[in-house]
Amino acid sequence: MITVTSGKGGVGKTTLTANVGTALAQLGHKVVVVDGDIGLRNLDLVMGLEHRIVYDIVDYVEGRCRLRQALIRDKRAAELFLLPAAQTRDKTAVNPQQMIQVCDELRKEFEFILIDSPAGIEQGFQNALAPADVVLVVINPEVSSVRDADRVIGLAESQGKTQIYLVINRVVPMRVKKQEMLSVDDITEVLSTEIIGIVPEDEAILSASNRGTPVVCNDKGPAALAYRDIARRLSGEQVPLAEPQSLSWWQRLFGKVS
Amino acid sequence: MIAIKGYRHGLLIVFNGASETPWLTHLRELEAKLDATPHFFRGSSVAFDVKDARLNEEDLRHAIDVLRAREIKLWAVISQNAETCARVRSLGLADRLTSASAARRAPEQPARPQEVVKDSTSLPGEAGDGLFVRRRIRSGQVLRHPGHIVIMGDVNPGAQVIAGGDIIVWGRLSGAAHAGALGNAQAVVCALEMSPTCVRIAEAVYIPRSLEHGQRRKRTAQMALLKDQEIIFTSWDVLTHKSRFERR
Repeated sequence: MITVTSGKGGVGKTTLTANVGTALAQLGHKVVVVDGDIGLRNLDLVMGLEHRIVYDIVDYVEGRCRLRQALIRDKRAAELFLLPAAQTRDKTAVNPQQMIQVCDELRKEFEFILIDSPAGIEQGFQNALAPADVVLVVINPEVSSVRDADRVIGLAESQGKTQIYLVINRVVPMRVKKQEMLSVDDITEVLSTEIIGIVPEDEAILSASNRGTPVVCNDKGPAALAYRDIARRLSGEQVPLAEPQSLSWWQRLFGKVS
Repeated sequence: MIAIKGYRHGLLIVFNGASETPWLTHLRELEAKLDATPHFFRGSSVAFDVKDARLNEEDLRHAIDVLRAREIKLWAVISQNAETCARVRSLGLADRLTSASAARRAPEQPARPQEVVKDSTSLPGEAGDGLFVRRRIRSGQVLRHPGHIVIMGDVNPGAQVIAGGDIIVWGRLSGAAHAGALGNAQAVVCALEMSPTCVRIAEAVYIPRSLEHGQRRKRTAQMALLKDQEIIFTSWDVLTHKSRFERR
């Protein structure tokens, strides 16, 4: 039971949820991704499943359908499902107790449950946090994102969460080198939280999101690789963590020679 | 006679002999106490211990209003009087200081194994009372205690530490610290690395110059103290306890 959160908006929670969820399913796990952003759903868009929504999480909580009916199967992997959020309601339509109950129901069938939390620290965040065993905090290498993450980690700790991991998203090695972006060391100094993944900035993400196909489905780019590594670490594999390096011009020219 | 005590979930205001004196007298005394040191209390959640006093709903509402006017929230009232407890519950307040209800109602401080710290009326400089915290204080978290506060860990930007006595940070202080917040001008703030957003001692305020991009403050242990109503920083030699005056 993994919750993906950040505090700050627009850092890449939804993209990460879609990609890590898909990558876990590609590794052969039974996975469900849950859109916790009631009222502003878009996990379905990023995964290209929008047109298949009939029932959503609020329909299930309010007893209009069975859980099975609300789940949408993603055909790109053997066992990947989406539990969509409602678009016409708001965060108060579900409370933390109901969220825990939904997740207990899902736990019976799935190995991994990923909840995409909305931005902010209000009820939507509380809903997503309540059932979590593992909390993934997504940040961008910039001060405002780190500050918000610090607040979110504090709140998660006060709820008794102990497995809190950091994903540093949209890293541009060149800009870290020029000190325009925070380095991994700068971030660790403030947050002192274990890092589970470093995802480089990748142009493939934007077009993949617009198409509704997570990059891990067919891309061999740096972000897709980083997402797959996160999925492998979550499933218990030991994968060494490497800080992305900037390639010099001749490395780019001749490809990366190991 | 009102005593302010600190414990893990915030502040506890104890009304000794509340049953002998009229409640209004106590409230007047409380008001005077709160207004003497407004910085210490603003934004806090407090609990009352009214001993065996018998309070009705109006008494309690009156107390809530007194606090609310000063941006203080009352979340619990404990009492040995069953009737008072019943009134407390009917107003939706807690009548016990359990950690579960504290975590729910006083979100200011994260739930931790709690312990009521004993009396804390003694002045800083002497033994007094201390709160020892061994963790990182993160953005948005507030640590408030009427005695001294010792933190083993960093105080992150956006976090606040408010003490009636001294504040010792065995780590980096990057947030805001207010020592002597109950009016003690002898109080000090010490940190192994001093890079606060704001330091207050009693009524005095010090806001450091903002740093140039990429610039870092020296990594030296420093002590902030009040001299001629101004906050100054001295090097804090933790081995010899000599402190040398240093300009910033």
